[in-house]
Amino acid sequence: MSKDEITIRDFCRRTGQLVELDPGHFLLLPPPYDKLDIQPKFTRLSEENRKKLESDLDGVSALKFPRPQNEDEKRVLVEKFLSGLKKLFDRQENWTFMQPLFLTMEFCAKCQTCAAACPIYNESGRLDIYRPTFRSDILRRLYKKYVKTGGQFFAKLSGNDIDASWTMIARLMELSYRCTVCRRCAQSCPIGVDNGLVTRELRKIFSQEMGITVEPLHAKGSVNQLRTGSSTGMSRTPFLDNVEFLEEEVEERTGMKFKWPMDKAGADILLIHNAGEFLAWPENPEAFAIILEAAGISYTLSSDLCAYDGVNYGVWYDDVQFAKVALQHAEVARRLGVKKIVIGECGHAHKALTVIADRVFTGEHNIPRESSMTLLHEIIKSGRLKLDASRNDDMTTTLHDPCNLVRLMGVVEPQREVLRAVSNRFREMEPHGVNNYCCGGGSGFAITKDLNFPDFRNQISSRTKLRQILDVFQDIIEPEHKKYVCAPCSNCKGAMRDMFAAYGLFERCNILYGGLVELVVNAMVDIDKPFIEWEWH
Amino acid sequence: MNALQLAGYVAVVFFAVSLAAKMIKIARMPIHIRWDLYPIPHEKRKGAYGGSYFEEVDWWTKPSNFSRLAEIKAMAAEILFVQSLFHHNRSLWYASFPFHFGLYCLVVFMALLLMGAILGAVGIDIASGSAGLVGPGVHYLTLVTGSAGWILGAIGAVGLLAARTFGNELRKASVRSDYFNLIFLLAIFVAGLVAWLTVDPGYTHMRGFVQYMITFQPAPALPGSVTALGWIVIALLFYSPFTHMTHMFGKYFTYHTVRWEDHPNIRGSKIEKAVTEALGYKLSWAAPHIKKGTWAEAATDWEKQGNE
Ligand code: SF4
Ligand code: SF4
Repeated sequence: MSKDEITIRDFCRRTGQLVELDPGHFLLLPPPYDKLDIQPKFTRLSEENRKKLESDLDGVSALKFPRPQNEDEKRVLVEKFLSGLKKLFDRQENWTFMQPLFLTMEFCAKCQTCAAACPIYNESGRLDIYRPTFRSDILRRLYKKYVKTGGQFFAKLSGNDIDASWTMIARLMELSYRCTVCRRCAQSCPIGVDNGLVTRELRKIFSQEMGITVEPLHAKGSVNQLRTGSSTGMSRTPFLDNVEFLEEEVEERTGMKFKWPMDKAGADILLIHNAGEFLAWPENPEAFAIILEAAGISYTLSSDLCAYDGVNYGVWYDDVQFAKVALQHAEVARRLGVKKIVIGECGHAHKALTVIADRVFTGEHNIPRESSMTLLHEIIKSGRLKLDASRNDDMTTTLHDPCNLVRLMGVVEPQREVLRAVSNRFREMEPHGVNNYCCGGGSGFAITKDLNFPDFRNQISSRTKLRQILDVFQDIIEPEHKKYVCAPCSNCKGAMRDMFAAYGLFERCNILYGGLVELVVNAMVDIDKPFIEWEWH
Repeated sequence: MNALQLAGYVAVVFFAVSLAAKMIKIARMPIHIRWDLYPIPHEKRKGAYGGSYFEEVDWWTKPSNFSRLAEIKAMAAEILFVQSLFHHNRSLWYASFPFHFGLYCLVVFMALLLMGAILGAVGIDIASGSAGLVGPGVHYLTLVTGSAGWILGAIGAVGLLAARTFGNELRKASVRSDYFNLIFLLAIFVAGLVAWLTVDPGYTHMRGFVQYMITFQPAPALPGSVTALGWIVIALLFYSPFTHMTHMFGKYFTYHTVRWEDHPNIRGSKIEKAVTEALGYKLSWAAPHIKKGTWAEAATDWEKQGNE
């Protein structure tokens, strides 16, 4: 069934599961993963979950949405969906994205140039349902029929008529979580149509109107963050304890004893990390602290609500949640009276605060925001750190470009300059820079870990990144060579952690992933012991 | 005045008004959230590799890197050569480029017909042998652009139809109207070609018709093939504003107000004013986590329970 052609008509009308995902149909990987038997298996949902949860798209459930029990429930859901659909095209309800969405709805020439750019579509073995325009064409038809004047009549005339049934909406709901919003498709579109935006706007109907979102983004994500201070659930006291522990660890690893500046009013910079770093990759905030201390930068961390967690998941599914979190970040910066906010190694936090929030902040909240990549570059250029790149000579490095930081924000060179300064054996993946491929964890995928969604992520959405990593190191793929994928983004690291584990990349090929600052500290001549511990954790 | 001429007036007005209405509708939409997509060519020096002003420390204190010239160059390459298709979908470009270039030729051809008609109305003869430079100049330019337009357009349209019919992805993504639109345009190219080859080698009939139109004089009957071309063009003027065929105008917005729109929101700026206004808009999204009222109210409805 998996290679069958699926039309929009099938999508709307066919009953049962549309597509069965089969690793045998996915694109072949480079060695040593060119044999199916060493690739991970694709877990099927249990029979019970299939019966219970909406999974008729491809047998994967990101949303864990229970199947409605009767026709009445279905009818209510369809009505809500249509009400949300109309709001997407209302200038007040959706001022945030109405114009770009309208342009995308009106001007697609259906040339399918975008299809070749999409890693998910290609890696899946070109399954129709993942083609970038598949999702958009459905929304376009619904928009033309249910939102535009005279739509019902013209829909019949044009041969594009589809009905908003629950079967279709349930599939569309899951389909809006099969795209990482990497916007590679939009970049290749000759007209400037944006299928990634369609994904995001669809998610908004489900979240803002129907209250349906993947749990890690909303209930455990932005709601948790606004309630406890961090999407990790870490409130102020455990955060402060954590920092204290990291201070001790820094002393142990480097011999440097210093307090991390905390809640310091009047500092030049408020540095905001992704809070996941403190828990999963503490060496990253440690390395930042070491560099900023050694360079004598005036900065502070904050233990205030949201300000020690740069994540803003709203950027992927909900404008209101986005604005709430962004304003919290700005509010703390305002209270501290800092000159600017600097965002740590987290791609989506970068885009959220610098680009997206730029049209949310006004007056005193409009405090300048800057990337840590540029700050690091400036520090390195200034010569304030004594560095010896040969200290990283035992490993070959490559750089992953986080979509949010690079394609969607244009921060391309600073991190490269830094990496070149600390690694003699740096090589670029192809393609790279603004033409990069997503890690596969974008738009919330990295933190969506329930049921069999990680199989989709590891085997389909992260597959191109895996391919690029294997390709760039192909001549030294044997485990005797140490290889390091520098990924200056918590989210990308999250996706890589899972993908590396699923394929056994560390054990089989001796490839490790990590941030940029760790490499910098590893090259600092004043620190005796290597900072990077070459082990999988 | 014959039916073709009357319909011509109505079609031109209809096309202009509906296209303008659509463009005004887009232009008047509220300010939206930034949704930049790099590379952005107007970034001096950085545009080539996709960099932005965010690469600079304290970027808000640095002089603007905006280069209108770089932007115009990128636009010209995109418009004239359909550059993005060349880079991302070469096989389709072989059909799309002649198709689009043919259309541009025809736009220039129509402008030249209009110019020739105006000159004709003031007594300047447009022909190869007429006196001075203007008459023969307009004549030959009309000849070249028109003829190139029909030929390139027809080749491109056939190529695009073939791609849509035989290309796997394109076929799957196509619906009736996609084929219809291409056939429609092919009909224009073919009709033009036939009229030129059979009855109007110097485009005197077509120019004459335009002259009657702009001077509001009743036009005499035209040869059959020119009349056929006229009717198909009129039909297109009525039909195209409702289709994606107007994407050449839409593209202005997708590039300038979305992809390349990176103006920062400076305190006290027009952008800040527009954002403030938008934050006062009402919202009624139904999910329980959204407070009804204005956007500003919803955005500050923090479920703050302390983070001790
Ligand atoms: S989104 Fe762009 S690239 Fe994709 S089919 Fe439409 S016009 Fe072509
Ligand atoms: S945004 Fe990325 S994942 Fe989504 S359709 Fe486009 S290319 Fe594919």
